[in-house]
Amino acid sequence: MEQYKKNKIKSRICWVIASILAVIQLLIAILPFFFMVLNSFKEKFEMLTKGVFTLPDTFYIDNYKEVLSGKFFTFFLNSVIVLLVALTILLLVAACASYPLSRFKFKLNAPIYALIVACMSIPVHVTLIPIFKMTRSMHLYDTIWSLIGPYVAMGVPISVFILTSFMKGIPKEIEESAEIDGCNKFKMFTKMIFPLSKPGLSTLAIYNGVNMWNEFSFAYTLTQSAEHRTLPLAVWEFRGRYSMNTPMIMAVLVLTLLPMLILFIFAQDKLVKGMTAGAVKG
Amino acid sequence: MKENSLQKSRQRETNKVAAVFLAPVMLILVLYVFYPIVNTFQTSLYEWNGISADKIFIGISNWSKLIKDGNFWFAFSNNIKIMILSICIQIPLGLAMATFLDFAGKKTNVFKVIWFIPMLVSSVAIGFLFTYALATKGGMISSISNFFGGPNIDLLGNPSTALYTIIAIIAWQFTPFYMVYCMAAYTNISPEVFEAARIDGATRGQYFWKIALPLLTPSLKSAAILSMVGSLKYFDLIYVMTNGGPGRSTELMATYMYKLSFSEFNMGYGSAVAAGMFLLISVIALFTMKVINGKGED
Amino acid sequence: MKKRLISVLFAATLSLTSVMGLTASAEELRFWNVGAEGNDLAIVEKAIEIYNSTTESGYTIVNEPTQNDAYKEKLVIAMSSGECPDMYTHWSGGPMNEYINSGYAQDVTELFNANGLSDKIVQGGIAQSTYNDSIYAIPYLNVSVSGIYYNKTIFDDLGLAVPTTIGELETVCDTLVENGIIPFALANSTKWTGSMYFMNLAARYGGLEPFAKAVAGEGSFEDECFIWAGEKIVEWVEKGYFPEGVNSLSEDDGQARQLLYTGEAAMSCIGSWYTSTIKSDSEEFFDENMGWFAFPAYEGAEDVDPSILIGTLGDNFISFNCEGEALDAAVEFASIFSTPEMVEFMAECGKIPPTTDAADYITDPVTKTIFEAVQNASAVQLWYDQYLPSAVANAHLDGLQEVFGLTKTPAEAQAMMQAAMEEYNANK
Repeated sequence: MEQYKKNKIKSRICWVIASILAVIQLLIAILPFFFMVLNSFKEKFEMLTKGVFTLPDTFYIDNYKEVLSGKFFTFFLNSVIVLLVALTILLLVAACASYPLSRFKFKLNAPIYALIVACMSIPVHVTLIPIFKMTRSMHLYDTIWSLIGPYVAMGVPISVFILTSFMKGIPKEIEESAEIDGCNKFKMFTKMIFPLSKPGLSTLAIYNGVNMWNEFSFAYTLTQSAEHRTLPLAVWEFRGRYSMNTPMIMAVLVLTLLPMLILFIFAQDKLVKGMTAGAVKG
Repeated sequence: MKENSLQKSRQRETNKVAAVFLAPVMLILVLYVFYPIVNTFQTSLYEWNGISADKIFIGISNWSKLIKDGNFWFAFSNNIKIMILSICIQIPLGLAMATFLDFAGKKTNVFKVIWFIPMLVSSVAIGFLFTYALATKGGMISSISNFFGGPNIDLLGNPSTALYTIIAIIAWQFTPFYMVYCMAAYTNISPEVFEAARIDGATRGQYFWKIALPLLTPSLKSAAILSMVGSLKYFDLIYVMTNGGPGRSTELMATYMYKLSFSEFNMGYGSAVAAGMFLLISVIALFTMKVINGKGED
Repeated sequence: MKKRLISVLFAATLSLTSVMGLTASAEELRFWNVGAEGNDLAIVEKAIEIYNSTTESGYTIVNEPTQNDAYKEKLVIAMSSGECPDMYTHWSGGPMNEYINSGYAQDVTELFNANGLSDKIVQGGIAQSTYNDSIYAIPYLNVSVSGIYYNKTIFDDLGLAVPTTIGELETVCDTLVENGIIPFALANSTKWTGSMYFMNLAARYGGLEPFAKAVAGEGSFEDECFIWAGEKIVEWVEKGYFPEGVNSLSEDDGQARQLLYTGEAAMSCIGSWYTSTIKSDSEEFFDENMGWFAFPAYEGAEDVDPSILIGTLGDNFISFNCEGEALDAAVEFASIFSTPEMVEFMAECGKIPPTTDAADYITDPVTKTIFEAVQNASAVQLWYDQYLPSAVANAHLDGLQEVFGLTKTPAEAQAMMQAAMEEYNANK
């Protein structure tokens, strides 16, 4: 009993310390974002003379007005389409590949897995020229569809890697009982493994989604005209060779970030619940 | 005898199904990854400025140059520093955050969302804000130092601290990913395990060290591989913030390769660097995987 | 289910792209440039509008602007894939030579003269477009030379006069330091910004010959004029002429201008595009405070011409990757930029067009001073980092940055630069 009390006190103290650290981490995480928002409400010269870490004199909303009156919504729509299509394909393809790699026994399993892991090590920039050529020959250059392939491909190795390790964690008994019920492998995948992988898939959706949303190199290389640009390129209208309108850029970046943040708030909450339910059932 | 053939036909069946499931991924990888890699290895055998129609075949000259290239190995050592520190900082921190969220439950949703924000901030904004925040005169670090009577501190302009400063910023940006990753790993532990442990009188600390951590280990191993590969091919913030400087003190394999290929008109050698980088990273990652998985359960 | 979804998506992709199939018609000439925003965009668009509405060539120009930062990369990718645009801009120097040697720039000497450009474009600009005695490019946008912008108000308050020698400049700097003002607003994490000081010091000490010889492989970057320039910089750093933590300040993020605007710093040695950069931040600040003088002469080198300037006479240069009638049309288009109408418009936009008649259209007093210096200059040397092969340029910038940070000696930095030059010449 004495021991139990001691433990309880110790646990309390730990919890208090943890909470304090958590709050500090809260500040560290949010401060840069806070200043980003703050500076988006400044006038350009004001930011340069008074500094970055001050409150704006007045809440200057013209930056936002100007950004939104431009092509912002075109970029936004393009980004949304690319994200939805690429992410859907990526998650499906990755899930399909991870299933046999994590749960089947066959000769080529280990080599294929190693190959896919090796693919994670490819430096993105070496793919630019081959993919540019390919895009031209497929007549996809300067369309948002040119981005789908590279985005899926760049996400695939890491996604298969994560999902495979995740699927390995799903108890074998589930499969065995289903097999006895006469489930074939395809049914097993759609009915059991895929739903049970939701937590892994949600992590991947978040990770790849953010990457695709902020991706610059391919978007820059494979699109040209303003109608087909995605959000990360929106910045360039406010950035000249020798000058840039930083507050305006901050406004663009805040507007770029917000949809993802909102999505995270909703998606994260839903997906965690969904997967716990799944896990309990298992 | 009969059983054996049954087993065989079953195996054949499995192989077929596996092939069907793996086909889409292989198609995508062949097009977008294998082809560029083969292309890179091929280009590494040429002397080529990257744009001209004529390439000169020079055999393995680029490769023998690469092996002796001090700049490349220095960049590699920088990558290794990033790798070690990223694994040591980001994963434990991400795990700690996920554990806190797991214990505290739904009421800490605000924490979860705010902790996730750094992951969403684009490199352009990070570069800008941290450049100002770390300014020698009037920046945050200097102000703190001044407050305690210390001198101004120049972190990014000093070759001996610039890399570590960037590593800290990278950690700031990527820790949230490992938080989300660990949160997903936690969901694989069913709530009953936690309930049972609590009923047995285990404290949270005991539950974490004795029960949760061993269950999370496989996921953490994968996280380490991810962090490893990511760090070894890192590019973004170095390119945005220091461009390899001061001098060449923060040059990485990827920024070195980029400079050679796209600005110095040395695509042949740039490809050798890229291919060398690819080989190094693959070997390191696969070797590590073998080592850490070999000992564990399977 | 998933298969159907994929095939549907695939079909949708294919049908959409066939609708959007992008094949420029034969009569369209694609023009790649970095005028992605503001005045630069307006200038190119105006020229294209004039051309497309008046030309009898049968060709029209299509503007394809791209943001500056990764433009060189994009150009390499396009050329590498055999998709080089019909016309593209570059900054002359080392990269231009690569484009020419790789067959992506046509010799336009005859067309240049036929369009009367040899009289319209400033001689130095033509020189910077010439390679192996032939003209391969047409300069069009801006004359940008490095000189010293200074805060007139601070100079007046402290009773300082514009220095004409480096000795006087140092006296001015000493006075500023005594008064707690940083002499030079330099943000050197960008690397090329520090090179401005180095190039000018070297040119004042030894003229342009040592540089030309070093490039040709007859001389060396370890020549005394370069060592002297490096040592001067070390001396200035130690005397506090530059801001603290100079190598961590970013020009792109505006940290140098911030020092000027807050009055913390009084001068900046930088290219003359700064006029429009500062004006776009605050016209009022520029008009009230800013003056300009050329980099002062060195007392110890009497035989060196102090009128020499470092800079670009064109900033952006157009090269051509087309032949026959298309090339005629393209050069005709590039000539539009030196018509009075365009020169006037560009001057209004705060540019100094690289044309002989530019002076007639310049109204801003500071810009006038700069243009006079350009007209009086016996020679204008292109920026080292643009002129040199990029590998040598990077060696120069990396080494010099460490000189500013006092972590490398000038001799070490120059040895590094020389080694890179030798390696380049050996491979050629």
